[in-house]
Amino acid sequence: MRPVAVIAAGKTRFGAFPDRDLRSLAVEAGEKCLKNGHVSPSQVEAFYLGNFAGPSFTGQNHLAPYISTALGIRDVPATRFEAACASSGSAFFHAFSAVASGLYDCVMVAGVEKMTSQPTARVTEILAGAGDCSGEIKAGSTFPSLFAMIARRHMYQFGTTREQLAAVAVKNHANGALNPDAHMRKVITMDQALNGRPVAEPLGVFDCSLISDGAAAVIMAPLDRARDFTNKPVRILGVAQASDFVALDQKPDITTFPAVRRAAQKAYEMAGVGPQDIQFAEVHDCFTIAEIVAIEDLGFIERGLGGPWSQSGHTARTGEKPVNASGGLKSKGHPVGATGVAQICDLFAQIRCEAGDMQLKRNSLGLAQNLGGSGASCVVSILGNV
Amino acid sequence: MIGSVYTETVVHLAPEAFAKDVPYQVVIVTLEDGTRVTGRVAGDRVTIGDLVERVEVRDGVPFFLKASS
Repeated sequence: MRPVAVIAAGKTRFGAFPDRDLRSLAVEAGEKCLKNGHVSPSQVEAFYLGNFAGPSFTGQNHLAPYISTALGIRDVPATRFEAACASSGSAFFHAFSAVASGLYDCVMVAGVEKMTSQPTARVTEILAGAGDCSGEIKAGSTFPSLFAMIARRHMYQFGTTREQLAAVAVKNHANGALNPDAHMRKVITMDQALNGRPVAEPLGVFDCSLISDGAAAVIMAPLDRARDFTNKPVRILGVAQASDFVALDQKPDITTFPAVRRAAQKAYEMAGVGPQDIQFAEVHDCFTIAEIVAIEDLGFIERGLGGPWSQSGHTARTGEKPVNASGGLKSKGHPVGATGVAQICDLFAQIRCEAGDMQLKRNSLGLAQNLGGSGASCVVSILGNV
Repeated sequence: MIGSVYTETVVHLAPEAFAKDVPYQVVIVTLEDGTRVTGRVAGDRVTIGDLVERVEVRDGVPFFLKASS
């Protein structure tokens, strides 16, 4: 395998955009990305798209060539990857594999989701398709309810509290207020976070990420060619994808995600680093409890201690291990298929010192964790300075 | 069929198909043979560790009720 770098990134704002369709969002992100890397569409040798449920949300299928041709990327392989909320993380992993193996020298990875064209009840139903429709979903589970059951069990086994969950929401909203592209740039208080409308007990509305529209794109190239495009390439030091059961009731212990642990272990090994070396991370906080489980599974903190560790500020912008300085899915927004690549864009900006008000001081080694469903897919990526 | 509640939640925001049932409780129950199943609670709310009995299967979905001890 040869070393690979991200050479360009571009994304749309995240939010509810009634006047924008799926393709126009993806094209905006793709064009920004091409411009950012001074890459012409004819140089792109393959197009990898992450999208969870475009056909259900919009009726449009065959999305990869539908978008790549609109970007002027012609003739080359254009393929959509679906792994629930880890769709574009998965596209990123597979694109990396192709470039690292020597198959291509310049590929674009994009992610997009257009969610707000459907009412919330229908969105909930579409998202539930990432669960096991023959069992848990038929019984009336929704995605918030699956994570609510994880939260209940985490509370039972480790003493995690509602206040600790709320602290994650308060932190991510504070971070998102500094992000000009975030869906909800709003600081919230602990009191608000604790008293949101109940969604699935013990989770309230402030424990849940947002229903958003948005797109993100990156271009990668082998490291030895990266400087043809940019003098600030960002190295992909490690990336791995792992899988597990789709149904929550098939997992022996729902307070930990084996797919996250496996993907993290492989990515750490590939990068030659450990969790203690990671300076900052973007993790998949689809729900507040998901961030707590993620920081435990990634090895940032011992199992069971993610709640108190979060509450005492260690994962804040000013803490020893800033987590979700972008605002995370909670505040930045969660256009499902765009999230994995958007996390890579956030790492890219931090490492290149281009993150504006969000800029962290310790920024040379970052990790992104992109989770699909209730832990059935996970992609972990580690990016660093060349 | 008897089991114990492994975890539970009360759902307040549901897809259209379940909107009429809101709020309703979903449980994962550990059965006597150690396997787990996701189902619904038919009566009073249950909490982790409660013994429950399957009282009905509706469209393939098991419904549980707190077992009288």
